Amino acid sequence: MPYKIVAMILAGGKGTRLESLTKKIAKPAVSFAAKYRIIDFPLSNCANSGINNVGVLMQYEALALDSYVSNGEKWGLNGVHSFMATLTPRQTEDSAKWYKGTADAITQNIDFLDAQNPDYVLILSGDHIYKTLYNEMIDLHVSSAADATISVIEVDPSEASRFGIMAVNKNDVITEFQEKPKVPKSNLASMGIYVFTWKTLRSYLKEDEKNDESDHDFGKNIIPTMLATGKKLQAFRFQGYWKDVGTLVSLHQANMDIALDRRELDLFDGDDLTKIYSEDTHSVPQYVGTKGSIKRSIANQGAIILGSVDSCVVSNEVVIEEGAICTRCVIMAGARIKKGTKINNAIVAPDTVVGGKQEINLGKPDVVLVSGGSYK
Amino acid sequence: MNRVIGICNLHDGPDLGLLTENRPLGAVTFLGRYGLMDFALSNLSNSGIDRINILVEKNVRAVRAHVREGQTWINNTKTGYLRLFFNEKTIANPRFNTDISNLLANRSFFEDETGDFILITNPFMLASVDFRPFIDAHIASGAEASVIYKHVITADTDYLNCGTLSIEKDGLVSKISNNAGMKKAVDVSLGTYVFNRETFEKILRMSREVSLLYGLRKMLRYCIDEKLLKLNAWEFTGFVAPMLNLSDYINHSLELLTYSLRSKLFLDDWPIYTVTHNTPPALYGPDADVKNCFIANGCIIKGKVRNSIISRDVIIEEGTSVDNSIIFTKSVVGKGIKVNYVLADKSVKILQCHEVNGQKDEFLFIEQGAHI
Repeated sequence: MPYKIVAMILAGGKGTRLESLTKKIAKPAVSFAAKYRIIDFPLSNCANSGINNVGVLMQYEALALDSYVSNGEKWGLNGVHSFMATLTPRQTEDSAKWYKGTADAITQNIDFLDAQNPDYVLILSGDHIYKTLYNEMIDLHVSSAADATISVIEVDPSEASRFGIMAVNKNDVITEFQEKPKVPKSNLASMGIYVFTWKTLRSYLKEDEKNDESDHDFGKNIIPTMLATGKKLQAFRFQGYWKDVGTLVSLHQANMDIALDRRELDLFDGDDLTKIYSEDTHSVPQYVGTKGSIKRSIANQGAIILGSVDSCVVSNEVVIEEGAICTRCVIMAGARIKKGTKINNAIVAPDTVVGGKQEINLGKPDVVLVSGGSYK
Repeated sequence: MNRVIGICNLHDGPDLGLLTENRPLGAVTFLGRYGLMDFALSNLSNSGIDRINILVEKNVRAVRAHVREGQTWINNTKTGYLRLFFNEKTIANPRFNTDISNLLANRSFFEDETGDFILITNPFMLASVDFRPFIDAHIASGAEASVIYKHVITADTDYLNCGTLSIEKDGLVSKISNNAGMKKAVDVSLGTYVFNRETFEKILRMSREVSLLYGLRKMLRYCIDEKLLKLNAWEFTGFVAPMLNLSDYINHSLELLTYSLRSKLFLDDWPIYTVTHNTPPALYGPDADVKNCFIANGCIIKGKVRNSIISRDVIIEEGTSVDNSIIFTKSVVGKGIKVNYVLADKSVKILQCHEVNGQKDEFLFIEQGAHI
């Protein structure tokens, strides 16, 4: 790359809609697809894109996330020209304050970015599931001489009112931004993935910092202000699978997309250029017992499958006891489904023991979360 | 804590036939996920021995590819290390390429090390062994060296040609013999030793005067015969899976499918570390039908698999049945093919046939990269 780019991954949100799954860990550290954590996706995308300078912004329950991200080694971000930093709010000479919004999180780390002195800053979210190379988006940003480039995805018009919607001209230059509009002017939704020219963003962050009325948020404040003051905002049309796994239903659905081998997000294509990197546990190989069965599913090393598993995601160190029947379940690391249990359409939180001879959520279409010891 | 220098000795290992033709025994895939030497390296690591030297006899590339920078087994990456040693001068001259010649060729590296004890282990006696009580017992014994042994009651069929120990009442070894299968109950050496440093250096020096062809194993027999060494014996009572020939490898691999045996090799507080290959989880298709198998990550299983070990990134297609087989990394079994009693090395493609069969006591070996 002829220019320098730093990625900043926003990973500080509480993720309340995942209920007790995020009781003790930040959403980006939540398990996904048997082996991964959600944040593996943006971090691997960065590594695969050749972006080896990454800051991960943390706030809510940063401990588990921080120790997971560590020095970035899992994604190869500990190399000689790489730089990986975990950025939590800190006490400064003047004050000690929390990150008040997505933009404020970057503002509070202007010194970090200044030290890196990048040409461009890539802002990413730590809770999206997608495989991409950011290079095309960055190239568009550079070639269109934009001040900001926003990755957009086409959504169903009936759903457009749930998103931040971008109206564009024939060159995909953004003409209007509507936050969760009642009457959307287009079907292009912002994915919360931005490329900014750093100098421009820096001055807007500095201005925004002074504004007490501002929520210090990219979508609500920075983007509309840039648009209103005549900056060039380019839309980049993202193609492919992308999912915000902010709710139990969307997290379950995204897991099922992998287990049922829909290949919209292909983890099995063997493509080294877009591989997703993660932690490798020191587990024994996964074992399927003489009376066990598993189909339409994915399972990680360390899983022991002695019961029946259909359309499930089975993480490491999970035990499915003989006689247990699991359908459409996302079973996280260390959980045990005891003998005689029948469980359907559930997310089972890590280390949960689901007690025997119970029927859980059978025949029901809605996803339930089973967590914290025995299911009640 | 006593400073211990750890050595994993890849010299003088058993011959697993075609499996060890192009790779040392330590780098042979095991249970679809490990290299055989992972057990020795993890024993060192779990025992707090953070300075690990691997003596490589040959095929350095295969060993390097498996251990990479060694960080998988190292606790502190500054104070600890994992190094590879080989003797460039003798590597093309197998008879002189002994573990002792390797150690002497790399002597300068050891001379710089502080350490009171040298612990040498090997990749072919698979076990989860805590070396700490062994070292403690060695120190308490006042002996110059100690060896780990196992009391075996099936020595007429198992552990053939391994060293057997005559142990006196004081715990010292008076004779090392060869297990010719004549007796059922013997004390078999597991080939893991701890030496006082000066003793170790003395044996290395002495070996040059005795015979250039002698490796450590032969030198120890010589020293015992000539009463030059006080060698203490320490009994290990846990589970051991010896990898002494190809059928050992096949039989022990498949018998570990049984939970009661597996739980003796894989202990809860004794993780076996191996390197990551960044594979996705295993994927099971709608018609997958798997019973009594180890399936490694990255596999795509669409057919029927029974009593088998399937390594990383293997594809088993629809309508296929794989029985009683061990399939190595990146192999493919195509649609509708029946495979029984087969040991398929890496990247084998079984596509152009209906059936591939070996026999229970004579597995069909398919060499690396072969297309069938």
